[in-house]
Amino acid sequence: METGWYPVALAEGLERGTSTGTRLFGRELVVWRDSAGASHVWEDRCPHRGMRLSFGFVRDNHIACLYHGWQYDTAAQCRYIPAHPDLAVPGTIRVATYPSIERLGIVWAWNELDSAAPQEIELAERAAVTPVRSLYVDASAAKVFDALVLAECPPLKNAGGATQRSRTDALVSFKNGTDEILVAVQPLSDVEAALHIVIAGSPDIHGSDSQKRVSAWGEALRRDVEGTPQARELRHEVAP
Amino acid sequence: MSGITLYDFELDENCYKVRLLLSILGLSYRKVAVNMVPGREHLGPVLMALNPRGSLPILTDGAVVLSEAEAIMTYLARAYDAGNTWLPPAPKDHGAVTMWLQFAIRDLHAAFFARRLAMFDETGDEVALSLAARRAFRLMEDHMTAREFDRAAWFVGDNPSLADLALFPAIALSRDFGIEHEAYPALRRWMRRVRTIPGFVTMPGIPDYY
Ligand code: FES
Repeated sequence: METGWYPVALAEGLERGTSTGTRLFGRELVVWRDSAGASHVWEDRCPHRGMRLSFGFVRDNHIACLYHGWQYDTAAQCRYIPAHPDLAVPGTIRVATYPSIERLGIVWAWNELDSAAPQEIELAERAAVTPVRSLYVDASAAKVFDALVLAECPPLKNAGGATQRSRTDALVSFKNGTDEILVAVQPLSDVEAALHIVIAGSPDIHGSDSQKRVSAWGEALRRDVEGTPQARELRHEVAP
Repeated sequence: MSGITLYDFELDENCYKVRLLLSILGLSYRKVAVNMVPGREHLGPVLMALNPRGSLPILTDGAVVLSEAEAIMTYLARAYDAGNTWLPPAPKDHGAVTMWLQFAIRDLHAAFFARRLAMFDETGDEVALSLAARRAFRLMEDHMTAREFDRAAWFVGDNPSLADLALFPAIALSRDFGIEHEAYPALRRWMRRVRTIPGFVTMPGIPDYY
């Protein structure tokens, strides 16, 4: 497991006031968005008895644990313990957090808990991106990358010539003409990965049509990576 | 008070489908609690006379006696949905709703068995059931992902339909049998929408927040 920035969710799919559980290298994370719109990535573990915070719920600007209702503010500090409503909660009770940032329409986390000094994320922001989807694959991230570096870019609005691919540790770009698709790969565990797929460019241009095409492309890629038997072409018997 | 009676087991997801629709349609009914597990009361002579299949739910309405959640839902929609939105009459939507009802019965059957295995100590192939349930959930996820590209919020058409109600319980209860919602972002958003349908009710295992 290398230390670095990894994608954990599509930004648009994470609605205000909601949370979800996910994983990085087998470790459980809770990703949530507060009512002011800021996203957070924490260890998915309540300091009280270790229950998963992603089973709880977001209310206003805090997340509440399902089990005994302890509430944590956006700085991960416990603020309220229902069994002791008058208690000034000690500052030491807080959830461990991952540094996180939104870039390219994707929520990224630095995979070191409570890191004081994560590196700058090296991905340049784009003027606009169109989110497509997150796709969960029963295969390792390495296997996903092996397939991605051979994949062709599906034609969108301005295709032309051969697909040009480039990759960083967690992101693959496919360019064809002025079309560009970005695929960020989240290693969930040794045998599962998630692909967070966006199109570079405005939803005004790439809404619906291109989204559907790229989504279907992703599904085909998933089939390839998982090794589902290729669909055989239907053969119609024609009487002589 | 209408003449509807539901033979119901609180923890059964198929009974829940019917309770959900009855609540949404605002219908009052008599509920007969059947101790299915561990009592096996559904296999006693009284209920076997009503439904020789030995399954729940069973609904009676006057002389009408029906079993199987999806069939009961179809009946209730035709009989009592004045707005005619839960089982839309337009051929295209009607066909699609029926297809998803079939999906809820057949493809999600694995989820039903996986949950019974986990909750009620029944026997079965846990690994195979879990795989089959995940395959079904993935098809639902791919469908709702595509629907969102068209800015559509529901499985079929512009309004919630029986399809949404029949598909909801299996995925909403999937943590009962060890399948997290991590891999289903579009279904998570859809499940939140289902919870906002007026008349929505929960069952044990389905919290009212999400
Ligand atoms: S485990 Fe979270 S409040 Fe008790």
